[in-house]
Amino acid sequence: MISIRPGTEGEALPETAPKLRVEDLSVYYGTVQAINHASLDVRENRVTALIGPSGCGKSTFVRALNRMHDLTPGVRVEGAVVLDGQNIYAKDIDPVSIRHRIGMVFQRPNPFPKSIFENVVYGLRIHGIRGRKRLMELAERSLRHAALWDEVKDRLNLSALALSGGQQQRLCIARVLAVEPEVIVMDEPASALDPIATSKIEDLIGELKKDYTVVIVTHSMQQAARISDYTAFFLMGQLIETGKTRDIFFKPTDKRTEDYITGRYG
Amino acid sequence: MATLASTFQARASTTARRRAANAFMTGVLWAAALSIIVLLAFFVGYIFYLGLPVISWHFLTSPPSEVSAGGGIGPEIFNSFYILILTLIFTTPIAMAGGIYLQEYARPGLFTSLVQFCAESLATVPSIVMGLFGLLVFVTMFHWKFTAIGGALTLTLLNLPALMRVTQEALASVPAAFREGSMALGATKWQTIRKVVLPSAIAPLTTGVVLIAGRIFGETAALIFTAGVSVSAGRSAYDFGLFHQAETLSVHLWYTHSESLVPDAARVGNGSALVLLVMVLLFNMSARLIGFGLSKRFMGK
Repeated sequence: MISIRPGTEGEALPETAPKLRVEDLSVYYGTVQAINHASLDVRENRVTALIGPSGCGKSTFVRALNRMHDLTPGVRVEGAVVLDGQNIYAKDIDPVSIRHRIGMVFQRPNPFPKSIFENVVYGLRIHGIRGRKRLMELAERSLRHAALWDEVKDRLNLSALALSGGQQQRLCIARVLAVEPEVIVMDEPASALDPIATSKIEDLIGELKKDYTVVIVTHSMQQAARISDYTAFFLMGQLIETGKTRDIFFKPTDKRTEDYITGRYG
Repeated sequence: MATLASTFQARASTTARRRAANAFMTGVLWAAALSIIVLLAFFVGYIFYLGLPVISWHFLTSPPSEVSAGGGIGPEIFNSFYILILTLIFTTPIAMAGGIYLQEYARPGLFTSLVQFCAESLATVPSIVMGLFGLLVFVTMFHWKFTAIGGALTLTLLNLPALMRVTQEALASVPAAFREGSMALGATKWQTIRKVVLPSAIAPLTTGVVLIAGRIFGETAALIFTAGVSVSAGRSAYDFGLFHQAETLSVHLWYTHSESLVPDAARVGNGSALVLLVMVLLFNMSARLIGFGLSKRFMGK
């Protein structure tokens, strides 16, 4: 059975305003509909977890949140994703600026084949920030924020690929934090990591929600229970149920949610 | 029980047969691999045996002779490198740009298929045909006569598709995760290509360029009718003139053995062959070394 530790922050936190409203979102791969009219409010400074069995469309859903689907030919997105009152799929919106505001951490750590330092400051350089001293300050701040600084401060010029998987993933988080997005989307960020590295990432996510709005895809219900304030359950491209994590886990209103939570399928 | 025992027996004999077939095929494949090494060793050894006595400082630096014995190959070595560098200057930017377009920008469709088809067709044109095309266009139509630049442009046409393919394959070897990581940080497509994709592909790109440089260095048929079969007579042996005749080493090798009047044609040919072979082997070896070194530096392994 899933347990939520008593006294976790999730219980006490008051409801905040929605940062991101997903309205009637559908995603098609060619003629195949992968997401079927999903609507979801993502609340500011909270962690929203997306759960569901493999292939249910969680990853497809989050990739629609920062227009990553634009990069893949043949994918069509319908509906709206509203960030602070502005539809990111509106005609006059530049997807590049959206990806700056909604950062993304991927399933497998994907540091660039560059030094640790160059990885962290990559986004800063992209956005025109210059000067070794300034970049160094910002790199240190991001690495500290991602709880990686102490492990790498003496070898910032080492290749990022020499780090362990868990360190690489925290580096990727630091890289996203450096460009100061408003929302951080994570697509199963710990699924390729061992339990210790996973728990570090989970602690980090708890810290991050003080400053950021976090959306996390996870295949682990325990993880969703441990770190999220809100949970959305996906099944076969449909958003079945969404609500406070406690409610989803203890008082699901949909039979299918209950079946999944209690391990009857998935 | 009897059936069971016979099944086991049958299986045992099958196993023995499979083992024998496995050992036999391993031997065949090993012999095939070995014969490649033996062939190359014999080939290289023979060329060294014939060519080495010819090599001297005088041979490597002095101009060729038209009628008497004792000519060298100095200007030919120079021209080979000169035309190689000219060709790379023309080829690399166009081929890389085309490769980047096809790999990173082009969406599947009629135009993309057409470009691919043309590149592949161009790649299959025999070099002698390309040489005749160069003769028609650069030598006759442009009235340039036999020139270094005409030769280099002909070689550009000849090697453009190969280098474009090299670029495409080098870019395709870069994991999609690098591109996504960059785009997800708000980078534009061009920023992603310039700062992540190209640096990540530097090892296969460099290896590819150097290997193609080796091919350009050894190319003969396309140059006979375009860059000419003699060095600019009366001028300095090391002639940077774009519009002067520029016989390369490989063309000189062909020329001495088929057209030349010098009594020591065989000697000059053997020496030229050795120099050419060593140069091309050096290109191949440095391609490997550079590729290895670069991937070590960039991938942190």
